[in-house]
Amino acid sequence: MIRSLVLKDLLIEIKSKEIISSMIAFGISVILLFAFSFRASPSQVYFFAPGLLWMIFIFISIILLNRIFNLEMENKSYEILFSSPVDKSTIFLSKCISSLIFLIFSQIIITPIFFLFLQINFPENLLFFLIIIFFVDLGICSIGSIISGSIMKIRSNEILLPILFFPMITPLIISAVKSTDLIFNNHPFVDWKIWFQLILSFSVIFLFSGYLLYPHVTNE
Amino acid sequence: MSSEIKFFHQNIYSKLFGLLIIFSWLILNYFVLFVTRIDPYQEMAQKIFYFHVPSAWVAGIAYLVVMISGINYLRTKNNYWDYVGYASAEIGTIFCALVLITGPIWATPIWGTSWSWEPRLTTVLIMFLIYLGYFSVRNFGKSLTTIKSISATIGVLAFLNVPIIYFSVKFWAEEVQLHPQPEMMEQPVDIYYTFLFSLIVFFMIYMYLLNYRIHILKIKSKLENILEDY
Repeated sequence: MIRSLVLKDLLIEIKSKEIISSMIAFGISVILLFAFSFRASPSQVYFFAPGLLWMIFIFISIILLNRIFNLEMENKSYEILFSSPVDKSTIFLSKCISSLIFLIFSQIIITPIFFLFLQINFPENLLFFLIIIFFVDLGICSIGSIISGSIMKIRSNEILLPILFFPMITPLIISAVKSTDLIFNNHPFVDWKIWFQLILSFSVIFLFSGYLLYPHVTNE
Repeated sequence: MSSEIKFFHQNIYSKLFGLLIIFSWLILNYFVLFVTRIDPYQEMAQKIFYFHVPSAWVAGIAYLVVMISGINYLRTKNNYWDYVGYASAEIGTIFCALVLITGPIWATPIWGTSWSWEPRLTTVLIMFLIYLGYFSVRNFGKSLTTIKSISATIGVLAFLNVPIIYFSVKFWAEEVQLHPQPEMMEQPVDIYYTFLFSLIVFFMIYMYLLNYRIHILKIKSKLENILEDY
């Protein structure tokens, strides 16, 4: 069931291309703004790079999370979705997975451009970097899906989402920036193990709580 | 007039409870200012501890109550739990604001700086911000049942986040672990009992305000029901 729900989201996106194209366009414009606002040497930029990179990822994930549930508001298709014989937790998981796919896809395009435009080198521990990105994305998508999925019926939910989402993900972003910083500077796993554990526990806790809470939020 | 729409102060128990709180508040202030010893290092600045720490405790308890009533509301959809959760969130945020005000007042002379990214202070600040979002949800929404479920969810998620926020800030800024870690059991008798007394007084204030807000929210929803009927 999850598979067909995710495929539905992917199919809509392949036809319309509106979410990913706006995420990528927005991400690149933010990179440009960063590149123009700090005219610093690459070594200085390298020092700030982890924080800048994660700020861009959070900004694009806001666009993603706003759209992913508003898709269902068009033609009131959420009514059909919620009245279909699907467990609501499954709907939550499917939204989580499809937003994870969209986020990773746009990050694959944005990250090389980030390193290119800010003229800094790719990290040597690429595998560790990708692992961190994956698990932080999982955390962002799980808490983002539950917040965006619950507020989708409120008017001006586009404004509410960042107000609720930003403070909630502070621990995740602290851990992401710290661990990315340590990976960029070639530190061994022992040094950033504690951050990885925090990221993992955040993702798991909010994935499970979303899974348990979502049916009750949408139940009227 | 039916007995249901009594004013809050017409209830004899809440009246007595209110008077008791005023009386104990005066006693607490007397103890804090004149009875407890003056700290040799921090001098009068240490006195704010009798207000800062209980505020933080009450804020924590209030947010725990928000989470518990949020879970209960999502399970039972009973409006009573929504009133408890909303009222407790309001009071918790007020006490959070008190912590954020009294903290820097104390820190300015002692640390020499008003703000430091200290885990407890930062956790309180982030909780405060999350709850500002909680109140905007309550203000933005039109349909009441949806709003109630959403705010219950946010209350649960916010409290689950507390330990993660605390530890991430703790490891993030390891060089600013300046927060005093006093062992209460080892304190002299006058400090220890005054502190316990201030905890009780703050908790009583919390209970009183909670009752009062629940009362108001009940009346409000009654009024809304009457208006809907017209």
